[in-house]
Amino acid sequence: MAAKLNVSESSESDSPNLSNLSACSRTGSRSLRVAEKERRKNGAEEPFVLALKYFSNVEAGTPVIGNDEFERNMVLVEQVAYFKGLSPEAISVMLEFAMSSRMGTNPCVRVLKCLIPTTMVPQEAVVRGVAWLGVGKIPISSQVLFIKWVLTIFDMIDAKDQLRAIYGFIFSFVTEESLCPFICHLLYLLTRKESVRVFRVRKLLDLQSKLGRQPFLSHLLSLYKVLCPELVTLSIPSRMRSGFRNHNSPWKSALIAVQKSNGSQTDSSTSLPLTIKEKTSLRKRKHKHLELPVLSSQVNKQPQTEPFTSRKVVPLAQLHSLSQLLENMHCIELPAQMGSLLGSSLALQYLDCVQDESALLRLNFWLGYALNEEFFFCGDGGGSQTSEEALQFLDKLLSSQQFLQEGFSSTEAFLYKFLSVWDGSLFRPQILSLLSNIPVVPNSQIGQLLFEPLMQLFFTSSLFFRCGLMECLNNMLLKWLTWHSVYALEDDLDISLNSHTSINMTLSGFKDSVMELIHFAGRLGSVGLQLEGCHSLLLSFILDFYETVCDTFLKYGLPLVVMPPPGVFYPALFAPDPVSVDRLVNIMYRYKVNLTSAKSKEKVTEQAFHISRQTFREFNHYIVVMVNCLWNSKMFQPDMGIQLGEELLLKSNIPEYWASFDLVHHPAFLSYAVDFHQRVSADHLDGHDLCLAEICMKDPAFCNPQYLICAPLNETFCKACAHFQRHLIYQHAASLYSSVNRLTGETNVVLMYLSWKMH
Amino acid sequence: MEQLSNSLARTPLNSVVVKRRSKTKSFRQSYRSCLGLTPALTARRLSKSRKAPKSHYITEKVNPEHLALLLKSEWKLSYVTPLYQFRHTQLKSYSRQLSAFIAAEKQQGFAVEVDGSQSNFRVSFSVVQGMTETEDDAETVLIQIHSKPLFAKQSEAQRSVWSGWLTCVNGNSDYLCSLPKDFICLPLFGSSGSEVLTTLVQSWFQKMFDCCFGPLEMNNTCLQWLAALWTNCHPESSIQHLKMIWTLPVVPPLQITYTVNPKDAWKLWSSVRKDPCEENKEEEGVSIDIEDVMRFMQGLKSHFYRHFRLDLSAGCLKQVSTALGSATFSGRVKISNSQYILSTLTLLTECALFKMPV
Repeated sequence: MAAKLNVSESSESDSPNLSNLSACSRTGSRSLRVAEKERRKNGAEEPFVLALKYFSNVEAGTPVIGNDEFERNMVLVEQVAYFKGLSPEAISVMLEFAMSSRMGTNPCVRVLKCLIPTTMVPQEAVVRGVAWLGVGKIPISSQVLFIKWVLTIFDMIDAKDQLRAIYGFIFSFVTEESLCPFICHLLYLLTRKESVRVFRVRKLLDLQSKLGRQPFLSHLLSLYKVLCPELVTLSIPSRMRSGFRNHNSPWKSALIAVQKSNGSQTDSSTSLPLTIKEKTSLRKRKHKHLELPVLSSQVNKQPQTEPFTSRKVVPLAQLHSLSQLLENMHCIELPAQMGSLLGSSLALQYLDCVQDESALLRLNFWLGYALNEEFFFCGDGGGSQTSEEALQFLDKLLSSQQFLQEGFSSTEAFLYKFLSVWDGSLFRPQILSLLSNIPVVPNSQIGQLLFEPLMQLFFTSSLFFRCGLMECLNNMLLKWLTWHSVYALEDDLDISLNSHTSINMTLSGFKDSVMELIHFAGRLGSVGLQLEGCHSLLLSFILDFYETVCDTFLKYGLPLVVMPPPGVFYPALFAPDPVSVDRLVNIMYRYKVNLTSAKSKEKVTEQAFHISRQTFREFNHYIVVMVNCLWNSKMFQPDMGIQLGEELLLKSNIPEYWASFDLVHHPAFLSYAVDFHQRVSADHLDGHDLCLAEICMKDPAFCNPQYLICAPLNETFCKACAHFQRHLIYQHAASLYSSVNRLTGETNVVLMYLSWKMH
Repeated sequence: MEQLSNSLARTPLNSVVVKRRSKTKSFRQSYRSCLGLTPALTARRLSKSRKAPKSHYITEKVNPEHLALLLKSEWKLSYVTPLYQFRHTQLKSYSRQLSAFIAAEKQQGFAVEVDGSQSNFRVSFSVVQGMTETEDDAETVLIQIHSKPLFAKQSEAQRSVWSGWLTCVNGNSDYLCSLPKDFICLPLFGSSGSEVLTTLVQSWFQKMFDCCFGPLEMNNTCLQWLAALWTNCHPESSIQHLKMIWTLPVVPPLQITYTVNPKDAWKLWSSVRKDPCEENKEEEGVSIDIEDVMRFMQGLKSHFYRHFRLDLSAGCLKQVSTALGSATFSGRVKISNSQYILSTLTLLTECALFKMPV
């Protein structure tokens, strides 16, 4: 043993020298001081190797007191240990020396205290150390110290398989009263499912009855319960401290210091995984249905045909990181209560991966139960006191659904019921978000389940609800289309997922549902715009929706193009804000791109899909209207969608009414015109500006203060007035003054007007 | 053992047909859609018409001890979502687990060995054979908890401190068949005994079988059905009285106890019934329509109105009781006559299934 160690040491002591040298030569330009330090360190290496040699070879029974050689070597090892930590080999040598008590028990404590590893600790050394415990030469205090040391450096042990192999041996120390807490902790770290045995459970329960309710026993037993709930059961009160007491070990600070100076970030977190969840609120609730169940392993196992060759399973509750999840992917056991998954993203990841029908159904039962109890059956619960919990619950549900990018079927069933009793304001954002997650509803049911209740709510609610609903419908459509494009692809690849819970939906069925949804949103949009007086906020949400609709073919591969209804098209076209008009034009452009590509594809592949002639006709009609209106200044042509009587138009006293909505006169672009005016000097007013001023004067549509927002505008008006005045078109000037005055009541205009009158 | 195999056969068969997706363009509805999963939205309603209770010779089918237990006490009802991986063959192990669980919960922080016999509580699970009506119904399970009083003498025997059962009688077969085979649907849970134990048993079931318990209160329709069903039995076994308790939403709240002479009740009932001698009487038994029930209740209400000028329609029916049984709005039921136990449980099963979330 010693010889072998020596060999390994010498090779070890050589290599760092070499590497250090090379490091030195490479970094020749570094400061001299550093180089000096390096050299000194290298010089120190030699005696250190000799010291280790001394400790590995020292005869048993060598006295300690008055032994200068021991003292010298010990100091040397301590210096190295506290300065840069001990290498794995050094740890092995020193631990062996300490535990074997070759020089009595005195040096043992001293050595243990300086066992600070640089990188890692060889497992063999720890196993040998544990083996020495059995010899019984070491005093209990040193034994405790040793176990504490193992606990501290536990994460740095290079492998744990041999330690696990001597689980039974370690377990036997549990009866040692002062060792027991630490042994329990060590066992806690080592326990695997296969180490939980009936006789061990009995032993621990026996101890429990002797020692009483000790946290270390409870924690070990609770782990046993997690792993083998069929053997032991335990209920941990919520007051109990979680985890083992974090032993204030003497090594911790030294270890951190060494690691810091080495720059290595070996994560030696001595904190323990917490098995017992601290209850977030101890406040008692009358109804507990919104509490997520604790993630715990299954008690009720499938009866195995071969109980002893049963495959290894890892309960989900034992996994704490994604990498652990990936390692154990093949042998994960679902928790006892699926509801607990909702709280853990790790578990959701697994759920998404396995797609176990029963598991999903369990989750849905729980979820549906909780939602029903909260929103339907608990009339007496008192909404206000539970709303905080309900809000948190819904948020959690939402984040889970967003994580899975899919809604749960129980949420869906709940929503269909809830929509008929909803007032449209309770948890509005949450309910609308949940609603946007529902999967495609078959055409035959969509009206009754979705549209009727939503229509009622839409008509009786505020503007914000209307906007929210439009956003929700847009998200719903996006989800459906995305779902379609994903599964349409998948169909080509013919990946057969477990599809036995689904009803098959034909492409035409899907198209019908989507079309229904788009038509429904169109109806809501048209009526909503009327009710809200073409509110620009609502219009913006509606245009969001049509931005999705116009790209169904190119973006999502769905051969369906649905044009917006006139009730949406015209308000957007005549909208007073440039953004809406711009977005409408862009939407029409996307429609055109989609339609042309659909048509060309139809020609090439001669596929069955077919976009109806009616759609093309509608599109062409809208385009004609748009071009006539914006470009050709030909409003109110007889073949356009909107018609006004000739005499009515004349009566309105608007000159050139057919041009009122062209690019120059369109109210949406007024601000651009104003902007233009600000840039050109007042002296360069031309016909265009006059024209603008004239519109402002004549058109009652502009009598809305929101178009005359700012002082610069008044300035423009003033300039225009001045212009008229200079050209002695008094009549125009007078009416302009009065109209501006009427509209804004700006003082400078009034003053100008008065001065002009006097003149 | 024969009993066990029998109950296994009773476990509803998996009727979910595994369809493979065809190669042609077919669109799978998202697998999490509720519309394909269970007939959740349309199929489960309280039925509009049901067969009149026949006096079953239930005493021949069901163990008389069990029957006596079911009739003895008043039960607090709950609905239960389907139990995951519940097996009628594992009842012994469940007994051990539950008793250990109760012991552990009683002494918080103290671990308890599952196989240990030290427990103060002895739990027994048993199957009540013969309560099922259709192939899809799972066998009824009876749970009893025995314990010694805290200051009992050494010699004193343990006595029953809590009992409960899970049942499914005439469950909607569409619903039952739609569940995967891992699930056993026993939607109706009755318990009698201390609330603490009820909560413990429920939480054990929740942890063990991933199910949820919710209170099953009985709405007006359900209570009216019960009143009519019981009255309908009068010729065969006397109901002795028909007592109903109503509450009226006035200030201060008014509670009305309305007791009807059995003969009068029967007379009213036979007068509102449609002609009972229909053709299919022989093979199918007499069926009762919801309209009959409504007419019956209307008759009772208008009689009351004539005398007291109080319209009971404005109130809420809180309790119905006859000699055959009693039921309250809060979900407490007592069934006193074994002959009509199945028809009552059928109605209650329906109510419980009605509450299922999915």
